[in-house]
Amino acid sequence: MRTDLKAWYQSGQPWVWLNAGAVAISMVMVVGLLMLIAARGLGHFWPHALMQAELQVRGGAPVRIFGEIADYEDVPAGQLRANGVEVPEDVSELRRYLVKVGNRDLLGSDFRWVLARDLGKQSYPPELIAVERREWGNLYGYLKEVRESGQPVATGAQAWPELLKRIERALGLHGAIHEIQKTDIGAINHRMERLRLRERGYELREEYTGERRAAIEAARAELDAEYKVLQEKLNDLYTQINRDSFVAEGQDGRTVTVSMSQVVRAFKPNDMGLFAKIGHYIAKLWEFVSDEPREANTEGGIFPAIFGTVMMVLLMSVMVTPFGVVAAVYLREYATQGFLTRTIRIAVNNLAGVPSIVYGVFGLGFFIYLLGGSIDALFFPEALPAPTFGTGGLMWASLTLALLTLPVVIVSTEEGLTRIPKAVREGSLALGATKAETLWKVILPMSSPAIMTGVILAVARAAGEVAPLMLVGVVKLAPSLPLDGNYPFLHLDQKFMHLGFHIYDVGFQSPNVEAARPLVYATALLLVLVIAVLNLSAVQIRNHLREKYKSLEN
Amino acid sequence: MRNESQADHISQQFDSEMEELKTHFLAMGGLVEKQVGDALAALLEADSELADRVSKKDAKVNEMEMTIDEECRQIVARRQPAASDLRLVMSVAKAVSDLERCGDEAVKIARQAGALAQEGIAPQGYRECRHIGNHVRKMLYDALDSFARMDTEMALQVISEESLVDEEYNGAMRQLITYMMEDSRNISRVLNILWVVRALERIGDHSRNVAEFVIYMVEGKDLRHTPVDEIRKRVSKSVAKT
Amino acid sequence: MDDTDQKRAAARDDDGIHPEPPSHAIDMEALGGERESRNIEEEDVTLEVQDLNLYYGDKQALHGVNMKIPRKRVTAYIGPSGCGKSTLLRCFNRMNDLVDICRIEGRILIDGDDLYDREVDVTEMRRRIGMVFQKPNPFPKSIYENVCYGLRIQGINKKRVLDERVEWALKGAALWDEVKDRLDDSAFGLSGGQQQRLVIARCIAVEPEVLLLDEPCSALDPISTLKVEELIYELKEQFTIIIVTHNMQQAARVSDYTAYMYMGKLIEFGATDQLFTNPKEKHTEDYITGRYG
Repeated sequence: MRTDLKAWYQSGQPWVWLNAGAVAISMVMVVGLLMLIAARGLGHFWPHALMQAELQVRGGAPVRIFGEIADYEDVPAGQLRANGVEVPEDVSELRRYLVKVGNRDLLGSDFRWVLARDLGKQSYPPELIAVERREWGNLYGYLKEVRESGQPVATGAQAWPELLKRIERALGLHGAIHEIQKTDIGAINHRMERLRLRERGYELREEYTGERRAAIEAARAELDAEYKVLQEKLNDLYTQINRDSFVAEGQDGRTVTVSMSQVVRAFKPNDMGLFAKIGHYIAKLWEFVSDEPREANTEGGIFPAIFGTVMMVLLMSVMVTPFGVVAAVYLREYATQGFLTRTIRIAVNNLAGVPSIVYGVFGLGFFIYLLGGSIDALFFPEALPAPTFGTGGLMWASLTLALLTLPVVIVSTEEGLTRIPKAVREGSLALGATKAETLWKVILPMSSPAIMTGVILAVARAAGEVAPLMLVGVVKLAPSLPLDGNYPFLHLDQKFMHLGFHIYDVGFQSPNVEAARPLVYATALLLVLVIAVLNLSAVQIRNHLREKYKSLEN
Repeated sequence: MRNESQADHISQQFDSEMEELKTHFLAMGGLVEKQVGDALAALLEADSELADRVSKKDAKVNEMEMTIDEECRQIVARRQPAASDLRLVMSVAKAVSDLERCGDEAVKIARQAGALAQEGIAPQGYRECRHIGNHVRKMLYDALDSFARMDTEMALQVISEESLVDEEYNGAMRQLITYMMEDSRNISRVLNILWVVRALERIGDHSRNVAEFVIYMVEGKDLRHTPVDEIRKRVSKSVAKT
Repeated sequence: MDDTDQKRAAARDDDGIHPEPPSHAIDMEALGGERESRNIEEEDVTLEVQDLNLYYGDKQALHGVNMKIPRKRVTAYIGPSGCGKSTLLRCFNRMNDLVDICRIEGRILIDGDDLYDREVDVTEMRRRIGMVFQKPNPFPKSIYENVCYGLRIQGINKKRVLDERVEWALKGAALWDEVKDRLDDSAFGLSGGQQQRLVIARCIAVEPEVLLLDEPCSALDPISTLKVEELIYELKEQFTIIIVTHNMQQAARVSDYTAYMYMGKLIEFGATDQLFTNPKEKHTEDYITGRYG
């Protein structure tokens, strides 16, 4: 038996098993994490059944509650006793449910912990409606009547179809209002701001002649006129959208009147078939990835954050690639190999190990205050004291991350350059090409797969980085996207939203933590997906290049 | 300056192949020498049995020629010999056919010896035969010896001997013609002896060829069809140079 | 009459009775008379090496090399590894300039001009002296662009001129028929032997005077090797060719002159016929008969 064990040990099998085991554990952990995130995050968008129950708290009158059961936990009896809840001696644990009761405007809070033993007479009446609102969270209740200009137009059974019809109309109007506000008025504001800056610029340079003043005044008057027209249009739309409203009865019997302008969607969760639920699910999911956030990021979508993340990563790649390649080419091809280059190489490698928050501090101190401050003083004096580049923004964030990922690109580019056979360089030189021509026409194309590998690693690292970004330009809610239709289209000076920061903000800084938790998971899943997509496309490009230059590998 | 043997190749297999080739060549030379000697003895002692044996043994000589040729082909094909190795192989391949001719001439002598023996010993002409015979045997021996020793001096000696043999041959011819004129009954037997002398002269020619190949092999100079004086000048020049 | 019959007839009919000598009449003079042998003294010299010493740092790699390389002939360098033959070859187009620690004394003249003169434009000089390396090293471009490379470097960009030169070079390298239908394909799709001929085509496209071949067949199979050798035979009509090879038989097959080098010294340099049958130096003899070691 001992010899068997020894032979087995000598055969190397234990190491194979050890390796296989380690790989298996890693795989299980990664897949498990992804599944946890997916289950928690994606489940959020499913329309859960809406419960109606009698809540009989000991020593009180029974109360009717509506709500979705969001979570449950088993609480030790002692803890409950300490909180003044009467618990019999023989019970050691009690189950309690977290119920999303909605109607924050009536109850003050969306969620409520309820002991299981207090719940009596549960039912799922199909008439219960759920309404997502732009403010105050979801509304749960019974639809009483639909009103137009304060006069009831439908009650009872006719109220529901009427409600859906009018919500449709209101949503259309809301879209139009949104369009005018964001695009048209946004553009006017942008032009007004530019006019102001021009005027201020003239003043600063003391060139503000009467002629110019007249021109600016004229332009401003024109914009004002345009604005007035739009404003009137808006007012008109507002009156139209506020024409309709509906009345619903909440759990405690109070009624609420809600204007149609507040409604995002209304549905009857207990009256939906499977397909209706799937449709609802897809609509919610689409809203999540394509819409803007509402209610302090706890509702609505996260499109600006996705957009900001992708934008920032792309800009970072565009910045880091030339820098890294140029640095690597110089280090490998031109610099005399010696003590100095060795030192630089070690320094570059060490740079990769510096904690990212340090880069954030550096970005803040050097890029924003020093560089940005100088740029503002030189090029944008008219905007002062409001900073243009002297505050966090897309450019500084990208630049900071470019700095952070520079070592990766340098190292892998150098690796690629070393791997190019000497014969190829010499072949080019022997044909009378200069060193620069050789580099540009032969060496760099051939090392492009290695450069792409560096960019892939850089993207992977940059997309997941949050800490430095908090210092150099990410905000929890950006008023507009960094890319739009107003000159100069790409606003490098603008602050932007980021998925990583969004997770942090929603998960830990939100006023409504319970409501936001599923969103944290969903956002995390989305972040992983975005990084995966960015990486996969880079890998695809690299494989394509590798295929093109594959004879190098042998 | 030259390698005295074919040894010291990195490939020992090649060494042994070359050594074997030389050994086989010399063995064949020895056999041919013996054939010539036996044929001559059969003639002089009127030993028809010995003459018979000589005729039969020629098959062995032919067989050896083919074996050595095959060995040369194999070495050329497999080893691509260069320089001295190449010259050795080429020389052996060519000299071997000279040896084979010598063997054929020995058979011719033996045949005449057989014919003469049946008619009893005729005193006339045997002296010339013995004289030329001993001379060419010495030449053949020396040619083979110079090959074995890679000795150009000895080879040169053989080459210059050849003209002496020619002179002796001419003298013998005259003597034999005299015999025929003296007694016409002798004509057929003297003719037999004439063939023998002719064969011996040919053996001398072939020995000279072998000696020329030795010089080519050692010096890398192709001196066939060159007057003896010229040969001596060119060889000794190179010998003096080294 | 088939070919053999014609040859036989030609061999018999050398008295002029034949009304018209067949195209492949045998030159009886050449067969009978003294065989024509090359003589280095009678050749037109392209490159001349004078007292060349080369050092890598403190180590001397070439010791006082003197030789004349004849025009439009194939000169082969043979010798054991590390004997300096590749180093010498790389001196001819100043590839050793790329090595920082390399130092050169002595002169190499091309048509009388010193290669190592300060005023020589190295890139221009390299255009005159092309080089093909051990491993085929096509660039990651199409076949067409590979051949054009040297021309584009010179600033030739006219499509018509390039087309002409590419076809000429590929025909010169005996590759045209194999690749004419796929000039725009990647050069990496070619076989090793084709790649090496492509590299040769790339080299001759700039019409150099001298072609340096550094063990051009060491990475090729025997058939491709023979094709390249055949090519070398044809190219010597137009170019002076210098070839370094580990394969003695190859040197014997393709070259007119052979130089044997050992330990950075030129031991023997002479006509290939003579060097391979009757070398003058014992060292050469030992090397080519396989006694070196």
